[in-house]
Amino acid sequence: MVQSVSGGMGSDQPTDSGKPKARMLPSKRRSRRAWVALGIVVFAIGFLLYKGLGNSLVYFRTAAGAVRDRAQLGSTTFRLEGVVVPGSIHTTNTGVDFAVESSNVSVQVHDTANPPELFQPNIPVVLVGHFSGNYFLSNQIMVKHSANYVAAHPNRVATVNGKKL
Amino acid sequence: MESKRYKWTRRAIGIVSLLLVAATVIFGLWITPPDVVQGQLVRLIYVHPPVAWVAYLAYGITSIASTLYLWKRTRNMKWDLLAASSAEVGVIFTALTLVTGSIWGRPAWGVWWTWDARLTTTALLFVLYLGYLALRRVPATSHQRAVRSAIAGLIAFVDVPIVHQSVVWWRTLHQGATVLNPSLSPKIHGEMAMTLLLGFISFTFVYAWMLMHRYQIAGFEQKILDIELDQILEERLHEPGMESMQVELSPDVEQIDRHSKV
Repeated sequence: MVQSVSGGMGSDQPTDSGKPKARMLPSKRRSRRAWVALGIVVFAIGFLLYKGLGNSLVYFRTAAGAVRDRAQLGSTTFRLEGVVVPGSIHTTNTGVDFAVESSNVSVQVHDTANPPELFQPNIPVVLVGHFSGNYFLSNQIMVKHSANYVAAHPNRVATVNGKKL
Repeated sequence: MESKRYKWTRRAIGIVSLLLVAATVIFGLWITPPDVVQGQLVRLIYVHPPVAWVAYLAYGITSIASTLYLWKRTRNMKWDLLAASSAEVGVIFTALTLVTGSIWGRPAWGVWWTWDARLTTTALLFVLYLGYLALRRVPATSHQRAVRSAIAGLIAFVDVPIVHQSVVWWRTLHQGATVLNPSLSPKIHGEMAMTLLLGFISFTFVYAWMLMHRYQIAGFEQKILDIELDQILEERLHEPGMESMQVELSPDVEQIDRHSKV
């Protein structure tokens, strides 16, 4: 019976003279590499926790919450969430102007970035920017689509005589 | 050696996986309709949630196998190898989850990545299990490695329910759950729902097939390690001046050795 030591295959093999081979070195290197890899992983976990605690827990403020805390927010950059108000979208030379709403509180937005493909009226968005005068100046629009999936053309498949399958 | 039954089961699972993935691709790309809001982008739903589910499943298996190793009555090296194999497959599927999510996020959200709770906890899950795999590379006896990694695997698993519930507990850019939502009422069109289910089944089969392969390789690796170390000790015992030495193993060490054998 032997005690299995998982220090790597072929490590510590003796030479004819009875002295350990130089193969010990790769084993040590492997060991050091494993510890370095573990250290990197621990650092990555720490970094993710730091980013997570800093950004994730209050990822955005709703339009209503931001208006309520406006004095406190000042010109600080934060994420603002709200639903795009239908009929409020106007393309400008620098981007797009529109309004977002939550809990019947609306905020006028002046955006300087290209809106994403799904940007449209009645869709929830998260904007990155800050208050400036009567506007929320945004430099990034992110679309927060819902978890509902509805077929665009539910009756598109039909039989020859027009009857739905 | 690999038993015939194991070999044929694995082959059968491989063939079924291939057919199911092909069916998912056909249904996902050609048969299901586009979404009223997302249009053609919705087709990523047939890949992204299923690969995320498989990652959860893989880590679940790792946790069960780890518990079985830690419990003395069921302790066997096979559980440790199964836990490690499943974690390795899980890491691949977590990486796929992050990649497919990012590919979906760019056109749908407008960004490749954002530090919201769902994305952050998923990235953390990926790194935690990379840590688990790194820990297994740190030199130790087979038993020490198995105990250490079993504990690490169980700790890392705590993040799985956090990832799933993150969209409920915190404000996120990521949408809520479609199928396993708090009201347990899937909000998805019929054909889309069926194809999504097909995606879940097909990727689960792919996981089973990958796990069987990886587990077998892990068994071979362990056997090679044991044989080689036996030879090394044998050679050392026959070195000049070593004949008189008697290696007396304590009952504890013998027990460890028994567990290290596959």
